[in-house]
Amino acid sequence: MIAYLAQRLALMLATLFAIITLTFFLMHAVPGGPFVSDKMMAPEIAAAINAKFHLDEPLWQQYLAYLGGVFTFDLGPSFKYPGMSVNQMIASGLPTTAKVGLLALLSVIALGVPLGVVAALNRNRWPDTAVMAIATIGVAIPSYVIATLALYVFAMRLKLVPTFGIDDWRGYFLPVFALSGFWLSYVARLTRSSLIETMLTDYMTTARAKGLRPGQILFKHGLRNSLIPLVTVIGPVAANLLTGSFVIEQIFALPGIGRHFVLAITNRDYTAIMGITIFYAVVLMVMILLVDLAYLALDPRIKFGARHP
Amino acid sequence: MTDMPVDPAMWAPAPRDPASLDRIARPNLTYWQDARARLWRNRPAMAAFGFLILLCLAAVFGPSVYSHNYYEQNLQYANVPPAFPTYAVPQGDGSSQEIYFNFGSQKLYLIGADGALGDLVRSSRKDLMRKTQLYTVGDQQVAVDTAKSTLGLSDGKPLEPAGWRWNSLYPLGTDQLGRDELARQLYGARISLAVALVATLVNFTIGVLYGGISGYLGGRVDMVMMRLIEIVSTIPLTLYVILIMVTLASGFSAVILAIGTVYWVDMARIVRGQMLVLKEQDYVAAARSMGASTWRILTRHLLQNTVGPILVTLTMLIPSAIFIESFMSFIGLGVSPPEASWGTLTSAAVETLRTHPYQLALPAGAISLTMFAFNFLGDGLRDALDPRLRS
Amino acid sequence: MTALLDVDGLTTSFFTRRGEVKSVRGVSFRVAAGETLGIVGESGSGKSVTCMSILRLLKTGGKVVSGRALFEGRDLLALDEDEMSDLRGNAIGMIFQDPMTSLNPTLTVGEQVIETIIRHRPVSRAAARQRAIELFDMVRIPSPEARLRAYPHEFSGGMRQRVMIAIALACEPKLLIADEPTTALDVTIQRQILVLLKELQAKLGMAIILITHDLGIIVEFTDRMLVMYGGQVMEEGLVTAVFRQPAHPYTRGLIAAIPNIADDNGQRLRPIPGSPPDMHDPPPGCPFAPRCPEAMLQCRVPAPMIQAAIGQSSRCWRLHPDAPRPVEQDGRP
Repeated sequence: MIAYLAQRLALMLATLFAIITLTFFLMHAVPGGPFVSDKMMAPEIAAAINAKFHLDEPLWQQYLAYLGGVFTFDLGPSFKYPGMSVNQMIASGLPTTAKVGLLALLSVIALGVPLGVVAALNRNRWPDTAVMAIATIGVAIPSYVIATLALYVFAMRLKLVPTFGIDDWRGYFLPVFALSGFWLSYVARLTRSSLIETMLTDYMTTARAKGLRPGQILFKHGLRNSLIPLVTVIGPVAANLLTGSFVIEQIFALPGIGRHFVLAITNRDYTAIMGITIFYAVVLMVMILLVDLAYLALDPRIKFGARHP
Repeated sequence: MTDMPVDPAMWAPAPRDPASLDRIARPNLTYWQDARARLWRNRPAMAAFGFLILLCLAAVFGPSVYSHNYYEQNLQYANVPPAFPTYAVPQGDGSSQEIYFNFGSQKLYLIGADGALGDLVRSSRKDLMRKTQLYTVGDQQVAVDTAKSTLGLSDGKPLEPAGWRWNSLYPLGTDQLGRDELARQLYGARISLAVALVATLVNFTIGVLYGGISGYLGGRVDMVMMRLIEIVSTIPLTLYVILIMVTLASGFSAVILAIGTVYWVDMARIVRGQMLVLKEQDYVAAARSMGASTWRILTRHLLQNTVGPILVTLTMLIPSAIFIESFMSFIGLGVSPPEASWGTLTSAAVETLRTHPYQLALPAGAISLTMFAFNFLGDGLRDALDPRLRS
Repeated sequence: MTALLDVDGLTTSFFTRRGEVKSVRGVSFRVAAGETLGIVGESGSGKSVTCMSILRLLKTGGKVVSGRALFEGRDLLALDEDEMSDLRGNAIGMIFQDPMTSLNPTLTVGEQVIETIIRHRPVSRAAARQRAIELFDMVRIPSPEARLRAYPHEFSGGMRQRVMIAIALACEPKLLIADEPTTALDVTIQRQILVLLKELQAKLGMAIILITHDLGIIVEFTDRMLVMYGGQVMEEGLVTAVFRQPAHPYTRGLIAAIPNIADDNGQRLRPIPGSPPDMHDPPPGCPFAPRCPEAMLQCRVPAPMIQAAIGQSSRCWRLHPDAPRPVEQDGRP
């Protein structure tokens, strides 16, 4: 168990290291990027950049300096905005992104799983057909299309919700809906197929042959086992909710990290791109680790010989 | 029971047909015949397949056949919808002049005798008090009330609507720079599909080689290669694509390079997995013991059995590539203007959503339908190729 | 004779996209309290479907078309689902073929025994646990207290089947249905499990229906046997009687196909030529007729069960008093 955790942590650090290295050298390869010292820029930015990235020193020292910065949670100054650090950017966007992202994750699980269960239990009857039809639409239509359509219909035409911002509680509806649409459908489909597959297993027949009550059979034996594959997709779901937030925050004009990131891309604010990428990567690594732990708790088969307490 | 009377003639031995004993109960279709038959019966998958073929044909031949091109701007006709309501302005000589007023862009067009869009009429005077604009149409003054969205003559008499007309000049309207929407759609489809296909092929090649080598060699090499894959697969790929796109100057080849080098992990895993399974399989051992060469085993036995899962992964990879491309274009990292893709078209349509919502319908519809089609086709293929479903 | 279980005219079909598969076609048999009935047949002969029909555990698409199954006088096929589930795992226990997949991998084996007891008996959890320990001890799982907390993957196949037996016997059933309980196990383990079942039967006095395709197991472990083919009972009788003088050509073929090391006189295995019928469209009359060396024109007419000897009857027109004596074939009776 501990050995397994150590292994996961080591892999996580290796991945993180790979991402930082990749990011650093990719940014270094940008013509006119942040690592060219002799260029026109605001003097205070030039000074900050130089202080931070040691541009007059050899490449490997610059790299080490940046690496050291990342591990002390210092992502350096913005390349475009004088006096602004990447840390400040992230801090200012985090509340919005976290709120919308967590709500979306919540709605994915709280709506996707029950919908999938309803569909599986009514296999080939109308609730199944209805859920699957909606889920197919949700999987096929890109999130930004859903967002734009929703914006047009609900905000501009029907004026039910504001067109931008989340100052009003109603402002959360569309971003969360657009962000979670795909994954909600995906989770509903996965739950359905997983539960149907579980229903066909021998141990479900055993459960019925033992005379257990239908509720016991469904929840204790059926759902528990069919949710295991679902836990593994929570990691990717979280990752995609994060990256999905780029366009969603853009479309609904939410002041989140994703918006900063897209702005940084359009402005070619290289240090911000670099810093936010690494921030995202860390968040995702932690998510994946948490998911692994949840998986470990749910499925006794991967306990690596450890006895149940 | 035993006193049932029986016709004595029936006690004669039954004729026997020894050949029929070895007849197999179901027709012996090969794997591929069987799969094809099942795919053929799958209506949604076949409809999707037909749609994709039409789409590809349109993307390949459309831009060269169609009279407009995707880059020519005509600001005079910017933001004209595919169909519009017209009004008849009575003239002094008893005739009447048809006009169309575009409320989105506040422009008044004359309609020619053939029903096509004619010249743009400049506003002659603004009446700020009554929030109206005055236009000279023939010998009449037309007053447009921009607040109430009504048209009238200068004497206050409202103009009668003269019905809707199709835009014969631009069948699907124009964008905000007056470029033909249909031409841009066709061209966008071409770019999006090309990006998806090429990127998928690149992924496919990398994945098959990587997975094949890893699985075939096994042992230590396999272990190291799998560790690498584990690392790559935990890197959020969208971020990586964005980084590459930022590094490279944006454009067609940058998109392909970014997408093509990222999504091979699944493919590699599948190929490796199949390779490992098949290596253990008896018929491979049999082929080897009969002296088949490594190359022959690879191409004849292993790859042939891996085709099914690979095909399914490919059909699922194409829509993801289309999606990523459009996603990148949407946040400003795609092909550069005047080139177009579904992503840039959608992104442009969002900017004018409030005033010209029709511009969203086409790119959004096209990309959604394509995603649908690939999903249906992929599902159909998977069902058709899964022998467990053989019933 | 008042039977514990009296199955009469059981007919079960699976409705698939390719049409109706008539898996079981008018099967009748009785099981007396405490006796062991063996059901033997090839895969697809309908022996498992017969038992799953009785317990109403058919997979999707399966449906009992007609028939009765009286258990202690109550028709199982007419009970509502609540009454049926009160019986399952309680008065009727069941063991399945593959112990590797029949246990829930994410619950401890103890929990899987305990939940069965709690479902059917008004006992506390602690008492159920105590009972589970006794059961594990009874099926000879070493250090039962500790093993209760283990997960199925920590057990070997034989041990898992012992857990399955413990579950099936948790509420001291009157009838135990064992569907090929040893097919998935090693040969040495097979015997241990069957001997254990026999011992437990002697101790608890339940009746057993033992489904198998292994005639050796039938001879050694059962009192009466049912031979099934093409969804029908071909022959029924006391094991000793059937083996002494099999009445149906199919039974004769089965017995002849047993490899006999003892009197190996250079003969090869003698398989029955041909393959089982397509149950979408079974042959009219006797399902074995197309493969039967003794088939007559009359065999296209459905045959009744005809008594062959005391305690033995068979569904073969050859037993009809007017039927001609079969031509001696291959020198073996």
